[in-house]
Amino acid sequence: MGKQRSMLVVIVGLAIAAVVIILQLPTQLGLDLRGGSQLTLQVLPSEQITQISQRDLEAVQRVIENRVNGLGVSEAIVQSSGQDQLLIQLPGVSDPAQAQRVLGGTAQLEFRPQMPGTEGQLEAVAEIVGQQQQRQAALLAVGSNGLSEEQTAELESLTTDLQASRETLMEFFEPSELTGDKLTDAIAQPRNIGGTAWEVAITFNNEGADMFSEMTRNIAGTGRTLGIFLDDQLISAPTVDVAYAATGIPGGSAVISGSFDTETARDLEVQLRGGALPVPVEVVENRTVGATLGRDSIQRSLYAGMAGLTLVLIFMAVYYRLPGILADIALVVYALLTWAAYNILGVTMTLPGIAGFILSIGMAVDANVLIFERTREELRAGRTLYRSVESGFYRAFSSILDSNVTTMIACAALFWFGAGLVKGFALTLAVGVAVSLFTAFTCTRNLLFFVISFPQFRKVGYFAPSLDDDLPSNSQPSQP
Amino acid sequence: MKLNVVKQRGLWWIVSGLLISVSIAAMALSWTQFNGPVKPGLDFIGGTRLQLERSCVDEAACTNPIDIVEIREILDNQGLEGSSLQLVGAGGQAISIRARTLDVDEQTSLRSALTENIGQIDTTASKIDVVGPTIGRQLLVAGLLSLIVAFAGITVYLSFRFKFDYAVLALLALLHDVVITLGVFSILGLTLGYEADSLFIVALLTIVGFSVNDTVVIYDRIRENFKLMPDKSVEQVVNNAVNQTLGRSINTTMTTVLPLLAIVLFGGDTLKFFALALIVGFLAGAYSSIFIASTLLAWWRSGPSATAEDMAAPAAE
Repeated sequence: MGKQRSMLVVIVGLAIAAVVIILQLPTQLGLDLRGGSQLTLQVLPSEQITQISQRDLEAVQRVIENRVNGLGVSEAIVQSSGQDQLLIQLPGVSDPAQAQRVLGGTAQLEFRPQMPGTEGQLEAVAEIVGQQQQRQAALLAVGSNGLSEEQTAELESLTTDLQASRETLMEFFEPSELTGDKLTDAIAQPRNIGGTAWEVAITFNNEGADMFSEMTRNIAGTGRTLGIFLDDQLISAPTVDVAYAATGIPGGSAVISGSFDTETARDLEVQLRGGALPVPVEVVENRTVGATLGRDSIQRSLYAGMAGLTLVLIFMAVYYRLPGILADIALVVYALLTWAAYNILGVTMTLPGIAGFILSIGMAVDANVLIFERTREELRAGRTLYRSVESGFYRAFSSILDSNVTTMIACAALFWFGAGLVKGFALTLAVGVAVSLFTAFTCTRNLLFFVISFPQFRKVGYFAPSLDDDLPSNSQPSQP
Repeated sequence: MKLNVVKQRGLWWIVSGLLISVSIAAMALSWTQFNGPVKPGLDFIGGTRLQLERSCVDEAACTNPIDIVEIREILDNQGLEGSSLQLVGAGGQAISIRARTLDVDEQTSLRSALTENIGQIDTTASKIDVVGPTIGRQLLVAGLLSLIVAFAGITVYLSFRFKFDYAVLALLALLHDVVITLGVFSILGLTLGYEADSLFIVALLTIVGFSVNDTVVIYDRIRENFKLMPDKSVEQVVNNAVNQTLGRSINTTMTTVLPLLAIVLFGGDTLKFFALALIVGFLAGAYSSIFIASTLLAWWRSGPSATAEDMAAPAAE
């Protein structure tokens, strides 16, 4: 039985690897378990934009990302969903009123000329804002779990300070009428063909063109800048060349150049386009779970599931005897492998996800039950132990395959059409079913053959306790 | 023990017929009251649900339970008459409010009015769900669509692995399980005020995936027996197949239902009804596979034209 022995080594190796993975790679918990706020934003069409295109959604997403960053929430995620929706996850936020206020509404893009006599101050404040932004980004990158208490407090005060400095910064610029609705397009392009330097070309409509040329005439050559504000955040502050001092930049189109590379130019382009889109954004769904509430439900459901599974393990051992005990070992290996697979695939564990996991364990048990029932039948029909086990696996295969495939079909349907929580359930169940196919036919099988290679375990009573009473009365041996 | 399922099919069919009639009647009643076969919850019709717990950091604040009458007054003042209100949690220190979809200003104003009455709210133990009406419709459509696609996918797969009539009969057994689960929950909606959420649709889909398993295992055995014993009658073949798989059917259902039962009894509130729906569906599924799918097949195939070779024909293995 050298083959079984080497397969067992592989399985033990896999199980150990799974334990290492589970310990090393943390399981990602969904907001319903760790606490936090999930908001769905609907991008509403307007008179000018009746259909939200993919490009529009991308631009709006960038605007929303800016707003989310302003909230100073670590590990916040903004994702597009479907044609015209954005999903925002704010871990740890238990009162999302402020977030809802900040995130909704139409983007505000403004071009504001700098006021005379503020050159020195502007530079100083802009530097402070830059530093604060960097520090905030660094703190946010650590993630909420890695932050010490002081750092969390620092992040909080930093977010307030940053807001204040941004407001100060805004005071250096004159309010203007040149707003995003007058910007018709923004495109990032290379400065010269084949070069690495990039620039962003902007185009205004007729009304905007006049305002823009007047604004640029006033500041051309003075060293004062043209502040471009998106939702009250300064996203760019170009100066205007002295050559335009007489006429301003004519024709309503201009290029913003500077130290852009592909990425930064693209980013400014998307922000400008997003700011120019006259589409309001509305919060249409808000799901917020307090952190302790989530922890409570995860614990209770986990304990309950564990208790149920323990009963299943006991049942298997009592009813199916030796193979049942081996199946129990296989099930533990199964649970470890599946859990590790979730961590490797980055499956986010939600409450329905846990249910999917528990159900997939049920599927794994079912595969074993099918095999053992079949083995017993073969034993009753008078086969040798070895042949019975062999054909138990062989004959149960088509049932197991068919039943797993049908479950997979249901999972696929859920995954494609479902949203959020439903997806999580489908994913965990599908991964579980796939792993269970593997463990039933490798793990249980090899364990069983390994054990019956020892003569002391080759007792029919270990496999089918009722066999002796059953045999005479069993008038219907399964098949010749 | 040996069951003669085919002979007693009249009994099985009457039991199922009764269950289905009651289910349909409950759904019809539910439809007249709630506009849906099962009372639709927040997820499908939109609205706001707030579960707020009083902060007990200062123990003196939590000596008395929250006064529900005062909270009701606050709701009325906020223009939220007709919202449902419940005292929840140990010691009556938490409330659950169910109202129409509130925008952020309405939420804030309601919250501050509540804070004034009950004191500081422990946000880490609170829960907010606000669902806009369009999102609700979207969730419902997505759920129904996935149910239909799952049905279609399973039919195609079974037609391919077995035969088209096997697939149709398996589908009938599935519908039987889904209808009974819907019926039980529509009764729960009418009596206990249960409201279906998106997890309910997940449960229905899982039931579809699981109970077709039971049917497939039995059909698989019927097909095999036809091949091995071509001279036996349809009735004998089906009876044998059911009896041979009976142990498995019962054990599997039991091992699946055990952990679910544990969740119903001890698990978190969110999953309780989900697990209950699965239990109902799985039990209905086990019943329909053993007693309905098999007898339907025996009845359908016992016509004079059907031959044993015909039954065993699909050789996919």
